[in-house]
Amino acid sequence: MQKTPLFEKHVAMGATMAEFGGWDMPLWYKTGQTAEHKATRENCGLFDICHMGEYIVTGKDSYAFWQKILTNDVTKIVDGQAQYNFMLNEKGCVIDDCIVYRFNEEKWMLVVNAGTQESDFEWLCKNKLPDMELKNISATTGKLDLQGPTAPKLVAELAGREAIEDLKFFRFAENVNICGINVLLSRTGYTGEIGFEIYCDINDVVKLWDLLLEKGQSYGIMAAGLGARDTLRLEAGLPLSGHEVRPDVVATGTPWEFAISHEHEFIGKEALEAQKGTVFAYAITVEGRRKPGDHSKVMLNGREIGVLTSEIISVSLGMVPAGFIRTDTELAPESEIELLNEKGKSFKAFVKETPLVKGTSRKKMASML
Amino acid sequence: MSNYSVPSNLRFSETHEWVEDLGNNKYRIGISDFAAQHVGDITYVELPEINEDVDNESVVCNIETVKSSEDINNQISGTVVTINEMLSENPEIVGADCYGDGWLYEVQSDSDEDFKALMSADEYDKFLDEQDDE
Repeated sequence: MQKTPLFEKHVAMGATMAEFGGWDMPLWYKTGQTAEHKATRENCGLFDICHMGEYIVTGKDSYAFWQKILTNDVTKIVDGQAQYNFMLNEKGCVIDDCIVYRFNEEKWMLVVNAGTQESDFEWLCKNKLPDMELKNISATTGKLDLQGPTAPKLVAELAGREAIEDLKFFRFAENVNICGINVLLSRTGYTGEIGFEIYCDINDVVKLWDLLLEKGQSYGIMAAGLGARDTLRLEAGLPLSGHEVRPDVVATGTPWEFAISHEHEFIGKEALEAQKGTVFAYAITVEGRRKPGDHSKVMLNGREIGVLTSEIISVSLGMVPAGFIRTDTELAPESEIELLNEKGKSFKAFVKETPLVKGTSRKKMASML
Repeated sequence: MSNYSVPSNLRFSETHEWVEDLGNNKYRIGISDFAAQHVGDITYVELPEINEDVDNESVVCNIETVKSSEDINNQISGTVVTINEMLSENPEIVGADCYGDGWLYEVQSDSDEDFKALMSADEYDKFLDEQDDE
């Protein structure tokens, strides 16, 4: 397994480690998943996400390249803005979900998931246009995720209020100085809370981690692992690559249609549109205290209509079982369904609108300082 | 020595259950400190039924956490005579006090054969040490 530069820190902090996407990552620390989840919702959590992939694209064909590769319309974003996207294969299924950053019309960054880093790069190279350069900077880029309602105050203390006071949702700032460390500060995240994905040189990430944990104590900071990251993202109504979005499931009928624009031609568009109405994805909550179990079938009036794709105990909903399902049948919010697990046990569940938990992600920055 | 608590009066399985000899072939079963740290925050414990006949190495208990669900492998063949009633309202005790109030259930066996087949505390500690080195 690969290790991030923070591996020794995680072990020293007593983290329970596990394999994720080929990387040896912290699931939780001695604080535990529940406490780390709560800390992120109530104060701020700090996540090591160095394992994710970053690519730089430059050149005159950059624009045309993104319009070909990505589902969302990059003409809608300006310098200093990021955008959530899918990369589809020819079958209209999701190779990966990703975020594209526009520095200017001819310089962009794409950030992808850890497990698909290599295959994503191969895909991009395969579809490269003549007048552009594509560079994989993953190995030299450190990335931390600082998320939660006190994150703005912490960053304002370290970088100066003026560095972030005008930073809107999904906007980023380059060359921000955090106590001598040069970072790219992106107001993006995977938790539903206000916060920052912080990019730096790989050689600075350990120092940055220590600095944030030390200075963040008065803001209630807690190091948080991938366990909390999963419960937070599901509550926020966000998909997990390989579960809700995957290369063998067409990307239609999901709560993430905002990532798809039908105004331009992109790889997979024809297949996507041809399969509209064949598959759907929904968030659910489950009655009782127990999770149904991986691969539980979704039943409606005795007919199997789908499968459970993710499940958690939702800490912020009061330890309620929750998850995502994929179905072949369109369902309205509050529809009642049945989940049948591999042991034949039945659970009552309800379709819910997303997010399951509304966080602070879109709050005005000034109100959080 | 491993970094985990391993009480010397217990015997252990490779799947991280502990067993305590209560005398007269009656045994108490729980999960070890290693397991407690690795399963995460426990939200529900499914215990066997009292008077249920259970086989060695069958799954009779399940621990659910915020993130996953873990089967617990029974280590002593016999009949379940007691279950830890506290866990229905306070499942988190299994993680917080795995060798004390976090015990799971008790089995009445007709021999000490299964118990003797388990690892001693020293053997289990060494086993954990070897796991950490991998």
